[in-house]
Amino acid sequence: MSEVILEMKDIIKDFPGVRALDHVNFQARTGEVLALVGENGAGKSTLMKVLSGVWPYPTYEGELYIKGDLKEFTNTREAEEAGVAIIHQELNLIPGLSVTENIFLDKQETNFCGKIEWFKLHSKTKELLEKLNITDIQPTDLIKELTVGQQQMIEIAKALSVNAEILVFDEPTSALTDREIEDLFMIIRALKAQGVCMIYISHKMEEIEEIADRVTVLRDGKTIGETTRIKDITLDEIITRMVGRDIEDMFPKQDFEQGEKTLEVKGINVEHPFLTDEKKVEDVSFSAYKGQILGIAGLMGSGRTELVSGIFGVNPDETTGEVYLNGKELSINSPQDAIQEGIGLVTEDRKLLGLLLGQDIVTNTTLASLDYVSKYGVINKLEERKVTNKYVDELNIKTPNIDVNVNTLSGGNQQKVVIGKWLATKPEVLILDEPTRGIDVGAKVEVYRLMNKLVEEGVTVIMISSELPEIMGMSDRVLVMCEGKLVADLDREEATKEKVMEYATGNFKGGSKA
Amino acid sequence: MKKFLKDNATLLALIALGLILTFLSPAFFTPRNLTNLARQVTIIGIISVGMTMVILLAGIDLSVGSIVGLAAIVVTLLMQAGLSAWLAILLTILLCGVLIGLWNGFWIAHYDIPPFIITLGMMTIARGLALTLSNGSSVPVTSKVFSIIGGGYIPKGISGIILAIGLITILYSIYKNVKQQKEYGMEVKKSEVITKAVLAILGILFAFAVFFSYRGIPVPVAIFAVIVLAGVYTLRNTKFGRRLYAIGGNEEAARLSGLNVYKTKLMVYTIMTTLATISGIILASRLNGASPNLGKMFELDAIASVVIGGTSLTGGYGTITGSIIGAFIIGVLNNGMSLLGINTFYQLIVKGLIIIVAVWFDVMNKRKKA
Repeated sequence: MSEVILEMKDIIKDFPGVRALDHVNFQARTGEVLALVGENGAGKSTLMKVLSGVWPYPTYEGELYIKGDLKEFTNTREAEEAGVAIIHQELNLIPGLSVTENIFLDKQETNFCGKIEWFKLHSKTKELLEKLNITDIQPTDLIKELTVGQQQMIEIAKALSVNAEILVFDEPTSALTDREIEDLFMIIRALKAQGVCMIYISHKMEEIEEIADRVTVLRDGKTIGETTRIKDITLDEIITRMVGRDIEDMFPKQDFEQGEKTLEVKGINVEHPFLTDEKKVEDVSFSAYKGQILGIAGLMGSGRTELVSGIFGVNPDETTGEVYLNGKELSINSPQDAIQEGIGLVTEDRKLLGLLLGQDIVTNTTLASLDYVSKYGVINKLEERKVTNKYVDELNIKTPNIDVNVNTLSGGNQQKVVIGKWLATKPEVLILDEPTRGIDVGAKVEVYRLMNKLVEEGVTVIMISSELPEIMGMSDRVLVMCEGKLVADLDREEATKEKVMEYATGNFKGGSKA
Repeated sequence: MKKFLKDNATLLALIALGLILTFLSPAFFTPRNLTNLARQVTIIGIISVGMTMVILLAGIDLSVGSIVGLAAIVVTLLMQAGLSAWLAILLTILLCGVLIGLWNGFWIAHYDIPPFIITLGMMTIARGLALTLSNGSSVPVTSKVFSIIGGGYIPKGISGIILAIGLITILYSIYKNVKQQKEYGMEVKKSEVITKAVLAILGILFAFAVFFSYRGIPVPVAIFAVIVLAGVYTLRNTKFGRRLYAIGGNEEAARLSGLNVYKTKLMVYTIMTTLATISGIILASRLNGASPNLGKMFELDAIASVVIGGTSLTGGYGTITGSIIGAFIIGVLNNGMSLLGINTFYQLIVKGLIIIVAVWFDVMNKRKKA
């Protein structure tokens, strides 16, 4: 039996008007992977910020013990020295510097006149990488030349370089391909064997089932139930603890009659922006129908986002091919053209590509449909507010009023604002790129219900997702992409998890079908 | 109350500055001095309107000072060549304002080159053009019509009517706003409405008192006021204004939402240089001639006004009213220190400190909110 390395007792953390953590008790042991789950806003990040010294003592109440010693961190450095390291969702590496420089950032050993001992550092880096079984990265490689997955490995190496004994992973797989996730899990298992304590925050239940030993659930700043061994609890029970109610139906798919063909694309090619003979998307053709949800599956980097961006006119110089809507060929050279033709694209990264984070809900909601609320270039502010209120109600966006900045909303509500923005353009075809990434279970189900409703109203819905259960659960038809090519077009009955995965990884044994 | 103080900190600072100067120098709070002050602020003020738009887009325009000089030279040369004042002004606006603006905007929007570089280049080019065209020497003009633009006054009677109409319009728009809000079932903040109305009445009465006891509204101030009102209206109520905030806030998100980023940038840089050109014409008119070195460092004064007024250099936040208050703070400081006989060398130091303190205050304010 491993020993308790971390103990947090009766932690209370108040923000103006909200109690983010309410008497949280939390324990983690050496050599285990402890999953910390909860909906957005449940207090996971706050708890980890207390642990890592971001919220210094005494801005919180309660006691924090590491290896039995009471710790009162006043800054992150102290937490680091006590062996706590966090692998952040957004990677904190400097892209223009090398692997070694990043790992030993500001901790470089120098000789007597202050010159950095590069050879020593490089060999130390090499050692660290070897410890993680990483052979394809050199200490002198620049961070920007690495894939996201490799960058994450470097973050882990960096944490180990300071002898971290408590490693916190905050949504580590949200940007990784399946293969990279496998690599990550291998490293996690290796570290576990070395006795490192790991706290794993994730929304993805399958991952938790696969990698975690025990699970702690937070809801509304409180721990719900005891920390339980993953073997002794079902995923449904975890979800029930998280949302405080039974979600009887995670995927409330409704069936409608298949209508006529609406969107049809033929021979879409998207060139690589830098490499001349590489293609991001190669000769993709497909059709979408009224009354259906068309799912597009594939690994990250398989060209799904590039495909829909190409259709939407984001990179007109790199895209060729034909797009038809209701039998009429469209000429789309910019997102503006696409919107006018009745196509909407809910982009994948809501903070980077979807929202004006400094602006209020009204501005964000009507951004793509200003034409509907203005006359002769002058905005009718009353009409604008009416439209916004309509979508806030319809989408059940939780907010005190429509004048608050969108950056004060939770991830799920932000996503709803982005969706509202596109609904306001009254699209005939709505493409959703990873619509539920990083939002909590309750909000996910709401997004699914909304998709049903759109289909019922006659909107053609196309959904890109990396989460297979979502693709399986919500699509009427599944397209699978692999390395820029469309490799499968499956009916719901044919599309099994295994089959889709085999196509997506390019390993289909039964011959290819497209 | 605390919120009111915070939201109107720069305006209050301006009023405090005025009060202090009134005590220190008897010549400050006189109709004549205040009228002149308003006229002086006009030049930088007009540029600040455009600069606010440019900075809202997270851009910058360093060429405007040189364009003031170039415009002054071009308009005077055209008149020397025998063109009538109106035709000369029109041609200058087209040649210096629109054409150069399109040039700047084209490079910035089409090739995505940082505006700092493009306008830095244009700053040198425009100054060079002004020096070349004028052969390095001043160009005098003697046109009565032309001199009215920068030096004339609107007769008192008409001034009074204009101010009265202005007051009625403002009060009516406040009333209409409240009515609409009520109609729509929104909460009407009484204190806010009353503050607005009182400020409007006081402001207009003050303007009335100042201009009426001297010689009426100076023509350049009237032009300035029209530009400011048009600018404020554009930013608040038009799609174009909304596009500026959106693109400055998140350019890629704006583009993906179907906003025409290219066209917007082109327009903003064109508006900017057009306003700088108008400023140059007013300056030439006031001086009854032009020198190729006019407008040096004006770009920095305009940027300072915008920044003091609370507009973020990273784009997406800010207002024209703030920038105008900023321009007045700089104007009052210059004017007051001159009246007090403070050496211009010290004036520069004080101006620099004010910029730093104003931005520091703004940053601290924002941090507290977050």
